[in-house]
Amino acid sequence: MIELRNVSKTYGKKKNEFRALDDVSLTIPDGASVAVVGKSGSGKSTLMHAASGLDRPEAGEIVIDGEDILQFKPRAVDRFRSETMSFIFQSFFVQGNETCYNNVSLPLEIAGVPLRERRAKIVKALKAVGLEEKLKSRARDLSGGQKQRLAIARAIVNDPKILFADEPTGNLDSVTGEAIETLLFEYNKKHKTTLIIVTHDPDLAKKCDMQVHISDGKIQKKTGAKS
Amino acid sequence: MKRLDIMKRAGRNLAQAKGRTFLTSLAIAVGAFTVTASLAAGEGARQYADQIIKSNVDPQSVYVTKESMRQNAAQSNGLKEYSENQSQYGGMSIEMLSSDDIASLKAVEGVDTVLPTYLIDAQYIQFQGIDTKYTSDITTYDSTVLAATAAGDMPPLGEQLAANEAVVPESYAETLGVSAQDLIGKTLTLHLVKTGKTPSETEIQAAFMAGGTEAVQALYLSESKDVTLTIRAVSAQSSTSFSASSAVFISDTKAEELANYLTEGTSSYQQYVSATVMVEDGVDIEDVKSTIKDSGLAALTAKDISGMIFTMVNVLQGIVFGFGVLALIASVFGIINTQYISVLERTSQIGLMKALGMPRRDVAKLFRYEAAWIGFIGGAIGAGVAYVAGTAMNPWITDTLTLGDGNYLLIFVWWQVALMIVGLMVVAIVAGWLPSRKAARLDPIEALRTE
Repeated sequence: MIELRNVSKTYGKKKNEFRALDDVSLTIPDGASVAVVGKSGSGKSTLMHAASGLDRPEAGEIVIDGEDILQFKPRAVDRFRSETMSFIFQSFFVQGNETCYNNVSLPLEIAGVPLRERRAKIVKALKAVGLEEKLKSRARDLSGGQKQRLAIARAIVNDPKILFADEPTGNLDSVTGEAIETLLFEYNKKHKTTLIIVTHDPDLAKKCDMQVHISDGKIQKKTGAKS
Repeated sequence: MKRLDIMKRAGRNLAQAKGRTFLTSLAIAVGAFTVTASLAAGEGARQYADQIIKSNVDPQSVYVTKESMRQNAAQSNGLKEYSENQSQYGGMSIEMLSSDDIASLKAVEGVDTVLPTYLIDAQYIQFQGIDTKYTSDITTYDSTVLAATAAGDMPPLGEQLAANEAVVPESYAETLGVSAQDLIGKTLTLHLVKTGKTPSETEIQAAFMAGGTEAVQALYLSESKDVTLTIRAVSAQSSTSFSASSAVFISDTKAEELANYLTEGTSSYQQYVSATVMVEDGVDIEDVKSTIKDSGLAALTAKDISGMIFTMVNVLQGIVFGFGVLALIASVFGIINTQYISVLERTSQIGLMKALGMPRRDVAKLFRYEAAWIGFIGGAIGAGVAYVAGTAMNPWITDTLTLGDGNYLLIFVWWQVALMIVGLMVVAIVAGWLPSRKAARLDPIEALRTE
């Protein structure tokens, strides 16, 4: 379970001060799929960054499985992130010069998974996204959809409990985008992984269990079964 | 993240930017080449000097003179006080060792033998069956160093020639136009001329009383003597052994006899320019040397001589080495520049790695290891080129400088090269410090926004 309690985040100083998050409270149950919806600049990305410990809000608590990650030291936050979370981005951020295998291997290396355990996990993850044929291909030779699949393989390889997706279909055409969405939701259901999708696409948001609408750093409305 | 994983990723990142990596490495390679070459040349020069000293001087011997050469040279500009036992030698006025000095040397504890340097000046020498008269230096055979043999047989190490034997260098056979083997068993005649003595007043009076004016004149007359020796062996030409190349060698007893004959009645009778003291095995040569020095004589060991040569070699090596280091310093800025660009180029990659939980420290390591790889590649290229070029040029250098077969000027010592490469990796890591810090400090949120 992820709980955000009265989280506030401000950017800039004095005159240029900008409240990206203003006293936000939110509870996300385990295994749910949540869409964070809002226009650009609404604070939806900041919400994701705060919830994942990438950003440090100056007020509030972020409690994941009973522990406030804002109390952790940076090193512990890093370890926590590498063991329990994963990310998918709009522009994929796969390393073009590396092979698919080595792209997927990165989170395992960061988490310190021993070499002999890696291969099976990597092959399994690539199989899950249908890229098992591309094991040795360079990421730059893949199509956009394949790149995002690779990014998903990289995200799921270490069995994360929480999966953050920042506009996962933003750079893809509708057909490819749909395939990626299906992949994400299937994984969410099958593995009971909490899926948090940041998007401005209402169609994608509708497919989630829960929608959180945000603007001007405040949650305007929460909809969905479990909220 | 495991060190090995970071190293592998660093290596792959560099492999992606081959051209840039290669060019940056090349800058280091220039410095590495110079450093490797200077190390190799220094090592070669030291080994060569060592070999020269070993084939000319016994390590258990001390070269003793009345006063040190340096002292002598220092005074050569001013006036020098007259001394009874002074002699001209090699254009320098040198105080001679007296027989008392020799006796006191023999008394020093640990001294095995004392061999004074006998100066034998033959007017000419003549070979059996050849009419031409030649001039030659005549030297005592050094039993402590085994000279290379061209023909005949040398006495075993440590043994002297017999009194009527001689050894001549191979070059003499060439001059004579005969083979070295032909000279073995032939006789060699030394024609010695004893210059007139300076008779004392009593001697003059006695001679006058005995034989009148003629007898007195006879006193001043020079006399001559022919000494016939048998050639036992011909020494081979050696590029490292100087003594073996240009003198007739005779036994120490014969040399003493002839020197005494030549100097008898003159002021240089039983006076010696120098003496070689052989120290007993197992006795520390330094102890003997300091005892000799304490008695007011100058003493020099093989170690001192090599020390003097090594100092010179080290200075020259240091200069070349310094240029190499300068080149390396210049290349450091190349690494900094390359790594900075690399950080900028891979901003999103760094952001992603941090988002995935890679700690700052590991991000910094990744870039430092990349720098270390560049240092390693540069060092390996420089050392490799130096090794290949040096090995290829060694025979030519040996030939040009006539170092003698088997002697190479450039000697590569693997651990020196390894040490240099490790050093370069450290230098590269230091150079990569600032860029790696920049990478480590990148804000992942900012970095991931970049596209």
